[in-house]
Amino acid sequence: MEHTVIFQPSGRRGKFPAGATVLDAARKLGVGIEAICGDNLVCGKCKIKIMDGNFPKEGITSSINHVAQVADKDTKILKDLTARFEAAQEGEERRKIQRKMDKLRAKHENLSDKEREENIRLACGVKVSGDLIVFVPEASRTSEGIVSKKAGKINVKIKPAVSKVYVELPPPSLEDPTGDYERLVAGLERDHKVKGHPAIDYRALQQLPDALRAADWKVTVTLWQREQIIRVEPGKVERNIGLAVDIGTTTVAGYLTDLATGEVLATESMMNPQVRFGEDVMSRITYCMLNGRKGLEELQRTIIDGLNTIAERAAEKVGLAPADISEAVLVGNTAMHHILLGINPEYVGAAPFAPGMHHSFDINAERLGLKILPAGNVHVLPIEAGFVGADNVGCLLADEPHRRDEITLLIDIGTNGELVLGNKEKLISCSTATGPALEGGEIQYGIRATAGAIENVKVEPETLDVLFKVIGDEEWSNGQRNMGAKGICGSAIIDAIAEMFKARVIKKNGQFNKELSHPRVRKNAKGMDEFVVAWKHETALEEDITITIKDVRAIQLAKGALYSGCQIMLRKLGVEKFDRLAIAGAFGSHINKYQAMVIGMYPDCDPETIEFIGNAAGDGARIALVNVDKRREADEIARRVEYVELALEEDFNDRFGEAMQLPHMFDRFPHIESILPVEEAAQEIEV
Amino acid sequence: MANTEREKQLIKGLQDAVINYKVDEARKLAQAAINEGIDAYKMTMEGLAGGMEVVSEKFDSHEYFVPETLLCAKALYGALDILKPHIKAKDGGARGQVVLGVMQGDVHDLGKNLIKAIFEAAGWTVHDLGRDVPLAKFVDEQMRTDSDIVMLSAMMTTSMVGMKKLIPMIKEKNPNVKIMIGGSPISEKTVEEYSADGTADNAPNALREAMQMLETLRKGLATA
Repeated sequence: MEHTVIFQPSGRRGKFPAGATVLDAARKLGVGIEAICGDNLVCGKCKIKIMDGNFPKEGITSSINHVAQVADKDTKILKDLTARFEAAQEGEERRKIQRKMDKLRAKHENLSDKEREENIRLACGVKVSGDLIVFVPEASRTSEGIVSKKAGKINVKIKPAVSKVYVELPPPSLEDPTGDYERLVAGLERDHKVKGHPAIDYRALQQLPDALRAADWKVTVTLWQREQIIRVEPGKVERNIGLAVDIGTTTVAGYLTDLATGEVLATESMMNPQVRFGEDVMSRITYCMLNGRKGLEELQRTIIDGLNTIAERAAEKVGLAPADISEAVLVGNTAMHHILLGINPEYVGAAPFAPGMHHSFDINAERLGLKILPAGNVHVLPIEAGFVGADNVGCLLADEPHRRDEITLLIDIGTNGELVLGNKEKLISCSTATGPALEGGEIQYGIRATAGAIENVKVEPETLDVLFKVIGDEEWSNGQRNMGAKGICGSAIIDAIAEMFKARVIKKNGQFNKELSHPRVRKNAKGMDEFVVAWKHETALEEDITITIKDVRAIQLAKGALYSGCQIMLRKLGVEKFDRLAIAGAFGSHINKYQAMVIGMYPDCDPETIEFIGNAAGDGARIALVNVDKRREADEIARRVEYVELALEEDFNDRFGEAMQLPHMFDRFPHIESILPVEEAAQEIEV
Repeated sequence: MANTEREKQLIKGLQDAVINYKVDEARKLAQAAINEGIDAYKMTMEGLAGGMEVVSEKFDSHEYFVPETLLCAKALYGALDILKPHIKAKDGGARGQVVLGVMQGDVHDLGKNLIKAIFEAAGWTVHDLGRDVPLAKFVDEQMRTDSDIVMLSAMMTTSMVGMKKLIPMIKEKNPNVKIMIGGSPISEKTVEEYSADGTADNAPNALREAMQMLETLRKGLATA
């Protein structure tokens, strides 16, 4: 039986069979609800309110009784536990069960008693069993991310793999009944010196006779590497376009590029649709491991569908069809790369992390299922090692540390942090498990960088007054005005923790300063220390926005991983310091380089030498798209970069531990010493 | 026998050295205890383990985090290296034995090392298999040592999946052995799904959980 579901405030409505989750319904109707954990009842971001009552205007009666709880394993566990609890005798055993139950509830419901009473539920946790009106609160709505992966400037000679040439052929006659293909090849050799009988793709061949005759034997031929005919169009066509795509774990960004000029004609980005199978690389690999070939095919289809959407939308923006895209260059981390090509990623997911192959790869678009020109080529950049994938090769093409004398430290911050260190003599790379915290994941009030997200935070050290800025609003807060803040994005979390440290709200070891008595420094309902960044009246939420000790710990882990990675790399290369720091990644461009140094995301350096290079992976893909020689160069660098497995380093755990402190347990930061808090009688540490 | 003044002083000193991560101080006091012929077992249990208990509390209350705990473990090992050779075998009898290792395909051993420190401090015998351990090795080591508990660690979901296969392998050989699993991707859900016996979100809690398991095991044996 089908039921009507109406979402508010968007007003979108549709009919759904009983059993569909509210989140499924929202997705089908294009209602954006945040759901990071992939429908696992874990992240608690997809809170919605089920309206109660008769709504004559909509002509339906909505009720909390019109939803059924999704039965998951945990509710079963809870049921078992409850039974065991009731059967158990007073004592340690019973207390233990109680503790387990509390933990489970708190973890998986992500709803307070008050919320439950107000008919607030997780959209992924309830199924449609009757007509519904569902209200999507501000905090749960997704909005277009502003960390769009903007295309950077690239400086490269234009030499695409795909070229278009115009030929005019003599029509066949009874005296000269030569075949169309042979006639075309002769014309290409005569007018364009295309030697050695270029092959013709099957799809191009099918078009050939009609295309030649449609415009009086005047045609434009699309050649790949001047050795294969991939398209024949009637008349003169100059437009020659390609698509470069950076497939990130979280975001996919496509750049429709003019192959004659290198100019970006349209940028199109979306959430990686694979997110519903798991937020990070590992959970997607695990999905493939547990579901075998079928799981892998499902994930592959999902990303290819996503790429097709990007191609379609981007082409539409400039009034073209996706089939007008003559070639695509794709980059992504190793797991994204393998899944895209349908190569089992399982072995990349565990030590010794050997990839299916390092070398770049060319595949026919139609064979891959990519709906650009069917005979078009898809080029996938090479992989350096294990976790350092084609996206990192893209960064290297864009930043070119391998052509520089000075030593570059290149950090690409994403869900994984990849580091490259070196110069034209030698390059080494490593991968660090930074996790999603730096981008706002796993942070209580963390949200993506969308309108309404707090993006900058200032804490007045004397009064602990907080001023902040939200995305989409030019003015700073003044303590009074309602800023409509919905949460804190990655750049502001770094800001906030740096500011809290400078104002001595937290200590070097991340601990809250217990001697501070201030309304902003308090304990939350769970007894955890927290710091109020925005008061309720400044937010779009029904509560204050805070940073908890748990958030601080998550950031300490993430930045400790990055910092210790830098340290070990410096040692491996045998140098004391680097000459320039290049920070890549869409998120990277939004952080404040001073604040990032205050929390110790990277070792001390002259802030003047820090350069934000934007989405370098995407820029690298564009470079390889417009210049075919760069593909060879990419293969060369990929083989040259030496990979360092951090976890195998004898002292990795120690270095990691030390780097978790703010900014570091031992290392000094001469370049920012003046803004760091003076250390209180530093405890002597013997190691 | 009541603790003498000197013993009390050394115990307190060792506790503080562990809590405040003073390696040299810890070693110095341990050496003093040995030189003065003071019971090494008592120093370990009351001094080092006592100190580690405070560290656990500080971890629980978010006062300490991983870096501090690592340093505390260092101080603890500094003293333990000196005291251990002087502990008579019979002294350790009351505690259990555990096989510990990081799953195949995984080389992240920070969590495992902290577990090891806490358990050793508490007087347990720890058979540490290291990291990237083949499944069969866990089974063999449990059989060889007849350990009470096998503890499996994984930081990546991809290596965690191996537990599903490994746990029945261990239980098949020895149904009485208890299995604890831990690491960032592991939740109560995993415990239930993989039929393990327990998990904990940090090392001190793991020890608490293990103590209870041991109690249940020993009770079970006594009534059998």
